[in-house]
Amino acid sequence: MMTGLWSMLAQSNLIKKCIGMAIFQTGIILFFISIGAKNDALIPIITEGANHSFVNPNIDKVTNPLTQILMLTAIVVGVAALGVGLALAQKVYQQHDSFDEDEILNNQTK
Amino acid sequence: MSEHLPIFVVLAPILGSIFAALASWHQPKLSFPVVISGLFISWLSSFFLIFELLNSKSGIINYQLGGWGNKGEYGIVGIQITVDYLNSLILTTVTTISLLTAVYSRQSVSRELADQQRYFYALFSLLVSGLLGITITGDIFNLYVFMEIAALSSYALIAYGKGRSYMASFNYLMMGTMGACLYLLGVGFVFVKTGTLNIENLSLIIPNTLQTSQAIFVGFVLIMVGAWVKMAFFPMHGWLPNAYTYAPTGSGALLAPLATKVSVYAMLRIMITVYSIDYVLKSPNIQTIVLLLSSISILVGSFFSLTQTNLRKIACYFIVSEIGYMVGGAWLANEPGLKGATYHIIADAAMTSAIFMVIGCILFRIGKIEFKKLDGLFYKMPLTFIALIITMAAFIGVPPTCGFFSKFYLIQGAAQAGTWHFVIALLISSLIKAIILFRIIEIGYNKVPNPAKEGNKTITREEAPLSMLIPTLIVTLSLILIGLFTDKLVTNFIAKALPEIPSL
Repeated sequence: MMTGLWSMLAQSNLIKKCIGMAIFQTGIILFFISIGAKNDALIPIITEGANHSFVNPNIDKVTNPLTQILMLTAIVVGVAALGVGLALAQKVYQQHDSFDEDEILNNQTK
Repeated sequence: MSEHLPIFVVLAPILGSIFAALASWHQPKLSFPVVISGLFISWLSSFFLIFELLNSKSGIINYQLGGWGNKGEYGIVGIQITVDYLNSLILTTVTTISLLTAVYSRQSVSRELADQQRYFYALFSLLVSGLLGITITGDIFNLYVFMEIAALSSYALIAYGKGRSYMASFNYLMMGTMGACLYLLGVGFVFVKTGTLNIENLSLIIPNTLQTSQAIFVGFVLIMVGAWVKMAFFPMHGWLPNAYTYAPTGSGALLAPLATKVSVYAMLRIMITVYSIDYVLKSPNIQTIVLLLSSISILVGSFFSLTQTNLRKIACYFIVSEIGYMVGGAWLANEPGLKGATYHIIADAAMTSAIFMVIGCILFRIGKIEFKKLDGLFYKMPLTFIALIITMAAFIGVPPTCGFFSKFYLIQGAAQAGTWHFVIALLISSLIKAIILFRIIEIGYNKVPNPAKEGNKTITREEAPLSMLIPTLIVTLSLILIGLFTDKLVTNFIAKALPEIPSL
């Protein structure tokens, strides 16, 4: 997570910044998943018992589904942000022929 | 029907945006009326909500999404939408300004983005729904999702501006994503400790039982930092001036007043409702640091605005200093300070909206907004110039306008808390804005362009087209109206929105 944050702030290459963003987001996703994890736990699915009745799973033996659902949303958001970021980086590259922040700044002030 | 009003506020712009995108495949011109009707429905329902709220006894309207997850032994399980005194006002501000801006941006969009306006209105509507979602939601994870909806569409809207806007938008994306990620991390810490994401549940759990928890404290700091990055608070303000300057007129006029103000609201909501004011007061170290930072933020914004000659850059630096007002006011954590901050969210949204609309009008007719191009502006566009003067007066805080009253409350709060550097910063920033006002008057009114030199007898009067001028004038008038009705606003809404402040 910190690697990603550092890379977003300190790198001057736009693509490396995007990579840093992806790492940062993945770190947060792992953090959330680790909240919901339990030892020897199974997936949280309500199983079908006899006579089509539903059997609620033993709460100690399933992972917390809420964090996983939250992270599904966060993954979607992260992918979208990464996509927009890469598209913008490509536009910048078309303009300045460079991914380097300092060179682009030099180009802009000219 | 009326019990479903809260969801209409958010749903109408979302559906409007989807249908606008679909309609623009068939016929690009169709997307504008679709979006306008979506925003109009949202605007109407936000007004009805205010009336319903005033009639209701509890002062709070809850709406369970899908009618699922009512209160049981575990508290509220599903996703909840909440309307109370604090956010109903901000909802109405957002819907009103976005509706006016949509009407306003029609002409400038078709000129600036001639053949690429296809998805502009779809994104516009999506941005509005994101902002409304942040305001109305009663769930801190949902708040994150809406934050990202608003942010992603605003990156695209800024990048419509071409040229330097790509880089500005990229920087905004990096900072914005970082802010949202920090916020999400903070939500994680809160969730670990409490096991719930619902604001109402959290407000019962945190202030009562988890006052001293380290994890909750870390979560608080992370959420605050995330919100500050989003609202361009002082050390993290670098992205804002470029992003809003190079954005096209239409998106600038929507983003500048609303995006940052809604983040301020999110911060207020976390501070007041989720962690109580009591909690804020018990962490005095942060309080002094934040107050100092907001004073610096006010000064930095004001001084940078003095060095610029581009009117739009000046307005952008104004936003930085206004953010300092609001964060400072909220962190004074006493009654007048919080009142001032809440009132200033509405007042500042109107002021910033007015100044960006005026700039858009000038840009439309004259094509440049550097000071040297504005000689004799009064004689070319008298109404626009008067609107600019009124807006600047509101920024300074001249009595009948709304800027005066928010400053009044903020200074009162700062004096009560004994934070004199904040008072000084407020006064200096007023002074600097006055200097800029006189510069504008000097350039626009005193420098009469010499018609003989240009070869024609009279100076041609050329206002912006009516569809741009009328929204600009409405917003400018509303600055004075908000100022005149301050008393009603504060006693009926803001005073009721704030919790009991523990006296020290």
